[in-house]
Amino acid sequence: MTGTGRIGSALLAAGIALAVGSWCGAARAAGDTVDWKRFNGQTITFLSSNHPWAQAVLKRLDQFTELTGIKLRVDTFQEAQMRDRLMTVLQSRSSDVDLFMSLKSREGLLFANAGWYADLRPLVNDPKLTASSYDLADFSPALLKAEEFKGKLAGIPLNIEGPVLYLRKDIFARCKLAEPTALAQLPDIAAKLKACDPSITPFVSRGAKGALAYTFSNFLHNLGGDYFDAAGKSNLCSAPGKQALQLYADLLKNYGPPGVVNYSFLQIREMYGQGRAAMAFESSNEFGPIMQFPGRTKDSDVTLLPPGPGGVSRPTVIGWGISMSAFSQDQGPTWYFIQWATSPAMQTALALDGIAPPRVSIANSAEYKAWLAAEPVRQEWSKSLDTMARTGTSEVGPPMEQQPEARDILGDELQQMILGQVNADQACAAADKQIDALVVREQHH
Amino acid sequence: MGTMAFGRSGASTAGWTRRRARFAGTAHWLLVPALAFTLALVVFPFGYTFWLSLNDYQFGHSARFNFGENYAALLHDAVFWQGLGTTFFLYFLSLALQLVLGTYVGLLLNRRLYGQTLARTILMSPFMMPSVVIGMMWLVILDPSLGAANYILGLLGLPPSQWLASPGLVVPVIALIDTWQWTPFVALIIVGGLQALPIEPFEAAFIDGATRWQAFRYVTLPMLRPTLLTAAILRSVDLLRFFDIIYITTQGGPGNASTTLNIYAYRRGFEFFDIGYASAIMIALMALVAIVVLALMRLRRSL
Amino acid sequence: MSLGPFTRERSQLGIYVQYAVVCLFILAPILWMVEASFKAPTAVTAYPPHLLFSPTLENYATLFETTPFGQYALNSLIVAGGSTLLGLLLGVPAAFAVSYEAITWPATLTLAARMAPGTLFLLPWYILFTALGLVGSHTVLVITHTVITMPLILWVMLPYFDGLPRDILEAARIDGCSPFHMFWRIAVPLVKPGIVVATILAFVFSWNYFLFALVLSGFDSKTLIVAAFNFVGEGATNWGALMAAAVLIALPPLALSLLVQRWLVSGLTAGAVKG
Repeated sequence: MTGTGRIGSALLAAGIALAVGSWCGAARAAGDTVDWKRFNGQTITFLSSNHPWAQAVLKRLDQFTELTGIKLRVDTFQEAQMRDRLMTVLQSRSSDVDLFMSLKSREGLLFANAGWYADLRPLVNDPKLTASSYDLADFSPALLKAEEFKGKLAGIPLNIEGPVLYLRKDIFARCKLAEPTALAQLPDIAAKLKACDPSITPFVSRGAKGALAYTFSNFLHNLGGDYFDAAGKSNLCSAPGKQALQLYADLLKNYGPPGVVNYSFLQIREMYGQGRAAMAFESSNEFGPIMQFPGRTKDSDVTLLPPGPGGVSRPTVIGWGISMSAFSQDQGPTWYFIQWATSPAMQTALALDGIAPPRVSIANSAEYKAWLAAEPVRQEWSKSLDTMARTGTSEVGPPMEQQPEARDILGDELQQMILGQVNADQACAAADKQIDALVVREQHH
Repeated sequence: MGTMAFGRSGASTAGWTRRRARFAGTAHWLLVPALAFTLALVVFPFGYTFWLSLNDYQFGHSARFNFGENYAALLHDAVFWQGLGTTFFLYFLSLALQLVLGTYVGLLLNRRLYGQTLARTILMSPFMMPSVVIGMMWLVILDPSLGAANYILGLLGLPPSQWLASPGLVVPVIALIDTWQWTPFVALIIVGGLQALPIEPFEAAFIDGATRWQAFRYVTLPMLRPTLLTAAILRSVDLLRFFDIIYITTQGGPGNASTTLNIYAYRRGFEFFDIGYASAIMIALMALVAIVVLALMRLRRSL
Repeated sequence: MSLGPFTRERSQLGIYVQYAVVCLFILAPILWMVEASFKAPTAVTAYPPHLLFSPTLENYATLFETTPFGQYALNSLIVAGGSTLLGLLLGVPAAFAVSYEAITWPATLTLAARMAPGTLFLLPWYILFTALGLVGSHTVLVITHTVITMPLILWVMLPYFDGLPRDILEAARIDGCSPFHMFWRIAVPLVKPGIVVATILAFVFSWNYFLFALVLSGFDSKTLIVAAFNFVGEGATNWGALMAAAVLIALPPLALSLLVQRWLVSGLTAGAVKG
């Protein structure tokens, strides 16, 4: 959060803290059926990713311990390291970890098929364990659906995120250009930007092999394409598929920064933040860090990727979820923490820390609206997330269990296109062939 | 096994190493703790990995024995062969640079000069830093748009480079980073070797009128060979398993240009969940390292 | 080996110049890193790079506030120190035996652990140590890190032991010295510089090794290097904190090497090996 909102949000935060405290008190006072001290004195272990959500929640851990008397041991690791450790622990069916953060769009299918998630639904439906004010239905339907596998509730959504377009309205104004309203305009606008100011990179997005599916998918879906056709075959060689590949590769090849094939959120954030790029298509999560760079709050606009032909807009939207290990021996206390951390009051507080809330009600809360009102660009960001929550799809790479490998195949071919080594026909054919082979391999397991 | 000529070749007590040690078996028990420790800790992982490599085993699924199918697939895996090539290219380039520069720096460090302790500590600092930091640091410095490297090139009037983003340059650049990081290590080992050299051959050489370079080439270098080979062996086991810097900077990219075998094994195992196949890659890598190390040791033995 | 009377005056200057150039190449990126640790995070990737700026201590302050730095540092110290010690206890005698008995296969065997990719050990060791109930303890970290340090120490010590004059050892043997006494009373004092080098190298290797601690460390035994990764992440990369952490992480090994170098120097002037 930047500058002016600080005092205001401090007051709001104090207000929220009061609200949370009184919510707990009110819950007890109102004769809520949940006994918060039921698991007093027990210890649970949380394997967390180094995500802003986790950082924000753990700051408020004292409140949880005070409410329930449960001790939380947290191990925080960077995402990839956390996953390494998590998979080692789960593969060994160890009870070392009680709860963990999980990105369902990436590993959900695999973990669910392996039976590694505990089903949270019985816990949610138990009035002795879940407060009536918890309201599971409050969560964005799309996100909740992403947490469900074969009828089981594998986790609770923590946040909502997706790629958004950050643009420098001052540069656009200076170059007398209108902001893009359709996907097809992007190359043209980029060319004009380049002619207007050669020192600024017109467009930057992900080029790193393992990371680009996140941003590419939005291009594919806006052009009306899909990863698989009705028969379950890889569909990148369809007309929209090839178009999407061509558009994405061309934008990065001709108008992207040198060395874009290594770029992921880190370099994109720094590049746009430092004012070196006119347009950046990157995760909504980077909003906070980007706005910390001097000047960006005032000179940036945030929108979704412009719609494709026919006004088609299907933004990519994913969310982290918090899940309980199927091997946990402390389901009760673990559920208490999950409940507390994803309660309406907590998410209101987190929203003020810049964590986009997966709960619909929070987005409409007065405090959050006040924080947004402080800066117009925040409202744009929030509006984008709202639209995403309603109309988005979680399909980052070809939807299958071997999600990372499928993304890698796609990324490999796109990179070759960006480097000018192959054309769209060769790339889509190679990708389709490999993805189809992967599907066959997967069915044998 | 048999007798090996360890130690100084052609130096004073020349004959003893070729005699079967009369005292064979006496100091052997000093080996026992180290060997027992190694076996205890290493046997299970190696066995387990070998067993995994004979299975079709995905994270979260049950194992299905498939004999040598993984290894057969390896032979047809283009990425594996490319990875093999990349591993070797990176290995030879880095090793050559580090041995040459390490010897040079070692010779420098060996002199008694003012500020020697401070200089040594400074020179050792890259080696003291964790790879994650070194990777992140070079990632920024070498960024084509944001980093100081292209800025300096610009100051020198040279065209900017893509550094780590260029499929052709990425391996040499990584070799340079590794050389920056590990040359001090090699230098330290060389210094040790230099300390142990006797003074007489040098005295003789200079009396015979040899120049500094000739003394180095015909006296120092041959006597330094065992030390050089020790340094080579120690660097080889790490270079052939190159992982850290690549993981932090390029993750094996662009494409598979910097995908070494270790990176590939990690990707297939922990990212693509296929531990059976990844284990086969790891076994292949281990075999490779063993062959190289044994070759180097034979070289050392023949001195 | 110093060239003593063969050093000419004017080449001394040349040597110093070379020294300076080498130091500059090595140091330049490190200075960049130290500088970055005093910059505000948004200033690190500013282009053109700023040499002059107003330094801030905020990164170091944040570091101490948000992470239990002291605890992690202590854990790292225990693990690195313990594994170095254990590595010395196991490796130095083994190196002597290999050198003295002129056999290589034990040295190769201990190196076997270093031939395997680190990730190979993760799953089986997790299973093994879970069964032994050791996961999360300092013990398991010390033991597993010794797998790294011991071969290193053994191989670094080999040339030093090889360089010992055989006459002294044979004389001792004839006098009825047991192998252990030969090792402990005669060989070890003569190879002290080697032990110093081996100690520094082993400590640094163990200090910076994160893979085993990633999987086997627990809440109480997490090491500093694992925590260093935490400063890099989506929505959160804090350059300043990362570089500050890097500076702090590098300090103990540097301090150690400064300390033990005095022994190294005194070992050089001893000259006992030359006879």
